[in-house]
Amino acid sequence: MQVAVDGPWSPLLGRLSLAAIPYDNPILVSTFAVVALLGIVIIGAALYFGKLGYIWREWLTTVDHKKIGVMYIILGLVMLFRGFMDGAMMRTQQLLADGPNSPGYLGAQHGYLPPYHFDQIYTAHGTLMLFFAATPLVAGLGNLIVPLQIGARDMAFPYLNATSLWLTVSGAALCMISLFVGEFSNATWVGLMPFSEMPTNPGVGVDYWMWAFQLSSIGTTFNAINMIATIVKMRAPGMRWFRMPVYCWSSLTTNIIGLSIFPVVTVALTMLGIDRYFGTHFFTAGYGGNFMLYVNLFWIWGHPEVYFLMLPAFGLFSEIVPTFSNKALFGYPTMVAASFSIGGIGWVVWAHHFFTMGMGPELNGYFSAATMLVGIPTGVKAFNWLFTMYRGRITYATPMLWALIGLVLLLIGGLTGMMLSASVFDYTVHNSLFVVAHFHCMVLVIGAALFAGVTYWWPKVFGFKLDERNGQMYFWTFVLASLLVFVPLFYLGFAGVTRRLDYIYNPALKPLLWVSEGGIGMYFVSLFYFGKMLYVSLRDQIPAQADAWGTGRTLEWLTHTPVPFYNFAVTPQINARDELAWRKAKGVEGVQPTHYVPIHLPSNTAVPVIIGALATVFGFAMTWRIWWLSIASLLAIIIVVIIRSFDKNEGYVLSAEDIAKMENQVALASIIAEQPKRPALAQVEAH
Amino acid sequence: MATSNPTGAALALWNPGADEHDPISARTYGFWLYLIGDALLFCSLFASYAVLDNPVNAAGGPLTAQVINTPHGLWQTFIILASVLAYSLGTVSLKNGNAAGVQLGILAALLLGGAFLYISGTDLWALAAQGNGPTRSAFLSVFFTLLLTHGLHMLFGILWMLVMLVQVGVLGFTKDVVGRLLNLRLFWQFQATMWVCVYFYVYLLGGAR
Amino acid sequence: MNPPKQRRASLLLKPLLALPALLLSGCTMAGIRLFHPAGLVAGAEMHYTLILVITMLIIIVPTLLMTIIFPLRYHHSRNAKYTPDWHFSLTIELLAWGIPFAIVAFLCYLTIQGVYAVNPWAPGILANAPGARQPPINVEVIATDWQWVFVYPDQGIATIDDLVVPSGRVVHLQMTATSNMNGFYIPQVAPMVDAMPAMESRDAFELDQPATYTGFSTDFSGAGFSWMQFSTRVVPQAEFDSWVASVQANPNQLTYAAFQKIAQPTVNAGAKPAYFSAPDKNLFGEVMTAAMQGVVYPVPDSFTKRVSDNSAQGAQAPASPQ
Repeated sequence: MQVAVDGPWSPLLGRLSLAAIPYDNPILVSTFAVVALLGIVIIGAALYFGKLGYIWREWLTTVDHKKIGVMYIILGLVMLFRGFMDGAMMRTQQLLADGPNSPGYLGAQHGYLPPYHFDQIYTAHGTLMLFFAATPLVAGLGNLIVPLQIGARDMAFPYLNATSLWLTVSGAALCMISLFVGEFSNATWVGLMPFSEMPTNPGVGVDYWMWAFQLSSIGTTFNAINMIATIVKMRAPGMRWFRMPVYCWSSLTTNIIGLSIFPVVTVALTMLGIDRYFGTHFFTAGYGGNFMLYVNLFWIWGHPEVYFLMLPAFGLFSEIVPTFSNKALFGYPTMVAASFSIGGIGWVVWAHHFFTMGMGPELNGYFSAATMLVGIPTGVKAFNWLFTMYRGRITYATPMLWALIGLVLLLIGGLTGMMLSASVFDYTVHNSLFVVAHFHCMVLVIGAALFAGVTYWWPKVFGFKLDERNGQMYFWTFVLASLLVFVPLFYLGFAGVTRRLDYIYNPALKPLLWVSEGGIGMYFVSLFYFGKMLYVSLRDQIPAQADAWGTGRTLEWLTHTPVPFYNFAVTPQINARDELAWRKAKGVEGVQPTHYVPIHLPSNTAVPVIIGALATVFGFAMTWRIWWLSIASLLAIIIVVIIRSFDKNEGYVLSAEDIAKMENQVALASIIAEQPKRPALAQVEAH
Repeated sequence: MATSNPTGAALALWNPGADEHDPISARTYGFWLYLIGDALLFCSLFASYAVLDNPVNAAGGPLTAQVINTPHGLWQTFIILASVLAYSLGTVSLKNGNAAGVQLGILAALLLGGAFLYISGTDLWALAAQGNGPTRSAFLSVFFTLLLTHGLHMLFGILWMLVMLVQVGVLGFTKDVVGRLLNLRLFWQFQATMWVCVYFYVYLLGGAR
Repeated sequence: MNPPKQRRASLLLKPLLALPALLLSGCTMAGIRLFHPAGLVAGAEMHYTLILVITMLIIIVPTLLMTIIFPLRYHHSRNAKYTPDWHFSLTIELLAWGIPFAIVAFLCYLTIQGVYAVNPWAPGILANAPGARQPPINVEVIATDWQWVFVYPDQGIATIDDLVVPSGRVVHLQMTATSNMNGFYIPQVAPMVDAMPAMESRDAFELDQPATYTGFSTDFSGAGFSWMQFSTRVVPQAEFDSWVASVQANPNQLTYAAFQKIAQPTVNAGAKPAYFSAPDKNLFGEVMTAAMQGVVYPVPDSFTKRVSDNSAQGAQAPASPQ
């Protein structure tokens, strides 16, 4: 079953040998030292404070949507940092390796990274940023907020929700393992064909990339199913479709997109896997293979994936702008319509990612025109936010600042995106740094929205706000850094600098590369303020109100701050679109329920985290072609799932007295508080 | 629960007990969503098949008409439809709470599914033995992948049926078990539908070219 | 398609064209200037780009201004007019959908017109070009890992990393690649088009003035990709003829066997050219056929550690994956 594998292979260890550990590479060795040290510090601290059991019981085995959301966000932020370090290394390499006389260090001809290493870095940068930074952050905020906004107890399928998280984590774990055992793919995050095929890429890098991608996309598909079912089935009484907050609408559209596209990329990656493991010829150049098929399948997933990340960002702006303008969202129905338009158009524009692959003018013309259509609903959204601010009472809190810069970046990214959608222009800058600058503008819109969202809902989750002063310093340094890094890239793209260059032959570009590098330095400054913001907020922990910003409009601001693990002591009855604003208008926002009924909640389970661990082992074993281990871990996953299906645990019941006690002392119910062991229903009935 | 606000109007603010959702309904809905995803997986495979079912992609090797066994395909279609019928008859017993009837229906469906897989397996094995295995050309790659993807779905369904046979006996008709039986029925009909698509697209249309 | 009319439009836009050119002529840092298009195809690209951008600015600029003005004007400290419940206006919504729709419709029309004008297979803009009256110069481009082989079938010569064409003639390029996908691009001159193994793609351009340009690959193809520059020299017809004659006299002949050696992964830093006479009559076809049969030129391990000049030249014969 193994096709033309270079080098040794043994039944026990597959392709794995000591030679796979890059101990001769100083960059990787020092990275390993830092990661190992951090790991030791974290585990040591957990041991020292006796929190290991707490972490296992309350976090790793949890099925609570809020804790899962928080863990998604932590994963996203950690991977964002790693992706940023990759980006910093790339910009530094391009700065150093500029011109034929540029010096070389650490064994590289120019700069300090030989092409093979450089290629892995940008592949990792793209893969990490999309699948393990942006996607978990989006999924995490969705998990946190959507059930609260629709007044639900939890997601529709809490156990599946935890499984999604741990599958995503297992993909990220594979990426991290690839740093220190073997290598990562050098075939770009899109997986160039036929370059990723066995004959031209016989190493384990592509396998690592493929399995990390595959596992996380399965996790994302499950999450999409869960979110759609939650929004459709779990809304509180009275929450009709058109009373739903716009963020929930955008979550719904985005997950419809997710459910429809991830199977396609699963097929594309599986075909690549079959090619690599069995020697078939889907995407090879020879034997009738058609690598255009891969490019099409990939971008049928890949373009809607952009909107999969962008629509939640738009949803976040639609929550934040009204709150900080102290005014209802302008044009609610057309906002919903625009979300669906963007999602719908997103399905039929994929080929604009390869205008230069020789399609005829008919196809290029169609895909150009279709792509431009996206500009209409996006423009509508921008206008609606602007008219929400118009005649409002605006406060410049940090989330609002992020939303405003997001809007500006959206305009720049939109302009350059409309330019690129015209294939007549794309012929001149396709695959150049102009494209890189354009889509970084767009992902910075997503980034701004995510930072806005995290800052906005932080008090709801943890009970205290993030420090405003340092948060604003972080904001300004981050914005300055982004401008410094990416504005020069637009010009460099015009000047003909291609993407993915390990070496730039034209030394005249040095000044712009320096500006861009200065931006990287600025990012480090902003990182300092980010750390300081976290430190100061955690140190002071100034308690926040239920309606933390004072002008909240939606349901999540109705429940306590920090939010109890059961969300609402009694399910609210929904009377209006902006329920809290409606209750404020009626003067009843402080009215609490007078009596409680018992709440039925699901028990924690270790099965999802075990599935995640086994999936990591499976991916690792497949990557290194350790067949016995692959089969064993796959069987183990199936057996674990079957055993779990025999489990009679139907969750537990929170008694009315318990609820009353926690309602009086909210800190007891906070998601960071340790809960006493409550007997499961089956056990109660047995007695 | 109605609350009086300061102005005296009765307002409904809280709704105790409203969070009990029908678990089987939510699970079935979720399973339908999963089936949409699975259907898109087959869509991508059919699209790939359409692209690669082409003399260029056969690389000198055979095309559809030379690799399918049309009479077997017809028999397989009958078997798979009979299997779905058997399972459906089993779920009629579910309404009566008749565990033995359900188990009998599942067992019949399972055995018919096994027979289908046996025919499919021997046909593909014979094809590969002639030197027309999946590594021969891109067309054969997609031909094998499409058929085996469907076969893998059946295998998964059969495994699921085995588990359900035991669970109906051991656990009885609990909420979970009934939910699973209903979802399995959806799944089994789904894979049969996919086979009908394969039969129509590959065996009939492809064979006619 | 109506090329003369387009050229008139170009004339109208001359002052606008000059604007970025002025901006950029001041800074000499860029060796490659997209704002200085050469030839009709690149000129048309520039022309359409400018109209598109200017049209889009009609909507971008006011929106940007609103984005700046509204937050300042309606800051809570300003006590400006406040209408907390105003959340819908049919007029504004109609404008919000209608204005972008009208602009996008115009952009669609323009861009489809532009696609036909610069279509690399048969650029509409070249149909009535001055050079179109003469037979075209045919060049077959083969992207190897990581060099460019240019075969002139009509002249019976071939070069590596040196594309020489006469001025005032339409140049037709036919492209393919050995193992990996590359993007063929000469920034000021020709649209970017991918050169792909086992497939044929095309590009075309025409230049009136003698000049030298740098072309390169735009699609990542492996370790030596960053070094895939090639020079494009446009010379007067007479000079071209004498250049062809001198290359024809070169004793190095490009047989398929010789090509297989060249096609071994090679980093040609600095784009050092090589010249051959009497290339195999069907070299392009043989390369395509070989790729279809699964021939690839594997990259030796040495490239994973350190890239040095020509380190793998002639290292081994091509291998088949099976």
